[in-house]
Amino acid sequence: MPTMKRVEIKAHQHLKEMLRLYFDDLEAASHDAGRRVAWCTSVGPCEILAAFGFAVFFPENHGAMLGAKKMAAELIPYAVGAGYSAETCSYMNCDIGSALTGRSPLTDVYGMAGPPTPDLLVYNTNQCREVQDWFGWFSRKHDAPSLGIMPPRCLGAVTKDHIAFVKHELELLIQKIESQFGVTMDHSKLEESVALSSRASTLWREVLDTAQHQPAAISFWDGLIQMSPVILMRGSQTAIDYYELLLAEMQQRVADGVGAVPGERWRLYWDGMPVWPRIRDLSEKFQELRTVIAASTYCNSWAFEPYEGGDPLEWMARTSLEIFINRDEEYKQQFLTEMIQQFSIDGAIFHNARTCPNNTNSRFGMVERLRQSLDIPVLVIDGDLSDARFFSTAQTMTNVEAFIEQLEERRR
Amino acid sequence: MSDQGFYVGVDAGSSATKCAVIDWHGNLVGCSAVPSGFDYAVASERCLEEALGEAVITWDAVEGSISTGYGREHVKFAGRYLTEITCHARGARQWNPDIRTIVDIGGQDTKVIRINDHGQLVDYRMNAKCAAGTGTFLESIALKLGMSLTALDSLAMESTAKTTINSYCTVFASTEVLERIKAGDPAPDIAMGLFRSIASRTFEMMTSPGQGRVAGTGGVVAYCRSMVRALGELLQDEVIIPPAPQFAGAYGAALEAKERGCGIRAREGAESC
Ligand code: SF4
Repeated sequence: MPTMKRVEIKAHQHLKEMLRLYFDDLEAASHDAGRRVAWCTSVGPCEILAAFGFAVFFPENHGAMLGAKKMAAELIPYAVGAGYSAETCSYMNCDIGSALTGRSPLTDVYGMAGPPTPDLLVYNTNQCREVQDWFGWFSRKHDAPSLGIMPPRCLGAVTKDHIAFVKHELELLIQKIESQFGVTMDHSKLEESVALSSRASTLWREVLDTAQHQPAAISFWDGLIQMSPVILMRGSQTAIDYYELLLAEMQQRVADGVGAVPGERWRLYWDGMPVWPRIRDLSEKFQELRTVIAASTYCNSWAFEPYEGGDPLEWMARTSLEIFINRDEEYKQQFLTEMIQQFSIDGAIFHNARTCPNNTNSRFGMVERLRQSLDIPVLVIDGDLSDARFFSTAQTMTNVEAFIEQLEERRR
Repeated sequence: MSDQGFYVGVDAGSSATKCAVIDWHGNLVGCSAVPSGFDYAVASERCLEEALGEAVITWDAVEGSISTGYGREHVKFAGRYLTEITCHARGARQWNPDIRTIVDIGGQDTKVIRINDHGQLVDYRMNAKCAAGTGTFLESIALKLGMSLTALDSLAMESTAKTTINSYCTVFASTEVLERIKAGDPAPDIAMGLFRSIASRTFEMMTSPGQGRVAGTGGVVAYCRSMVRALGELLQDEVIIPPAPQFAGAYGAALEAKERGCGIRAREGAESC
């Protein structure tokens, strides 16, 4: 089968530079006695940390880098040796293994000594409890406080009581940080940071929505790279400037009829985590099959509701509760249904990630329910976010090819 | 599609390469199986020669060919390749229109394929990557017990009890077998328990057991009557076994080649159809 050349995203050059500056700044902060570094979970209250002036590092991003660099098999055994199960979060295990061995891609790619030493770790268990245990290990190692918020989980409707509860947790978090470090948070800075976060998230959603067009201007594989500003730099003007640039490029693609996958024939949805160590193999396979992954839970569920002034803590509490991963099966099914319809999806792939049940949605009957309600083929592939030992390339490729053959047969 | 030509399907499996030749009516007129070895291209050529010999035709009479199986991309003379899943579904439709589920138990993996009333693929599942629930599970335990898979099968057929080996993991199952031996369980019952373990693993992969007939294909089904028995017990129905279960994929590929009219590639060089 001929492989047609993919069109590169031009804005990506800027992103590379932005990432370099971001990591340079983290490295500088970790060596500057006058600055403090905080570690934060990807959907954690980073706006509060920004308002306090912390340089913020996101260990999940490091976990993904370790996975993408195929380092899991060499690092996880160290975490297992330290008593962490190989069947739990491979981001966490890779990160612990990285700390125990001193091996990190941050050294090769950004010239850093490794992840910056934290003065504080802040988690949000709205995504999983594993983050608490993960940060617990590093808290003990660095003798740095690990604080967190624990919103009610698996929600259907998000109520005022839920929001009030989480808002109170956020207030307590601020108080603890203030007393721990003898500083006071500047509330106007928090407002500013939340407004910037919200704007970046809105722009990110608009970027992703260009994939509703046929052919899709952006694919899941692009999204995995392009979403780094909305995680690492949200709460900053840099992220906004970048997404404005990227959005203009994607809108131009739509106007010119340029797709992320040349000769697009099929449009799929991806639920669950990416398989980081096999991203290249998988994206090439889908390209060869002229199939675009036009939308995904991983990228698309990152877009928060806009902040329109008012209490920034209330906005943070609400977004914390409303994110996809924190919702019940009914909400998730509704979300997936809408995505599948809005993006004109032909079929859906669910990644059953061995070490992340939290980001896996194929374990409680969702696949069968969607098959029946939407009459589309749905495929489940077994794998993992980072640990390639749980992934069979040959078996997955056969599964994917058969899935496309199934779509062809339905169209025949 | 000509009304005189022959069509070839090749299933380049992980342990054996199978070739099926059909005539323009879809009748199976030649087949052959050879070990896949290290080189699928070589194995498929050898297998093709043997199958053409059995069909008493030459390559010139072949109008189309499709390859399938793990080494499908390496079969040089095939006009295109398709997955085993599509090919098995196609083969099943031909044998018996009542078939709705195909259970293919091979050496490396087990597949459960579901088709609808029109013979279209509805969904399919493969076992998660490990030996559990595959022929390798049985072979490995038979080896530990110092017997061949065929001998294990014959032994199991003597069983009259409802013994089940519960462990899915090959290592744990071996330990469980040793415990049963120590406890004095009769050997035929233990052997049958191993086949039931695979059957129950396979049963779990079926999304809608009880809807339509189930067909069994693949090497384990072809060579082990106990496997068919264990599946039948769980399904409470007789499992349909096609005439040459180990050639099911190759046969389906040949049928697809006939219908898709995708042609062949030159035996030397690689001109795609
Ligand atoms: S959501 Fe999954 S991958 Fe992310 S930290 Fe939690 S367990 Fe790990």
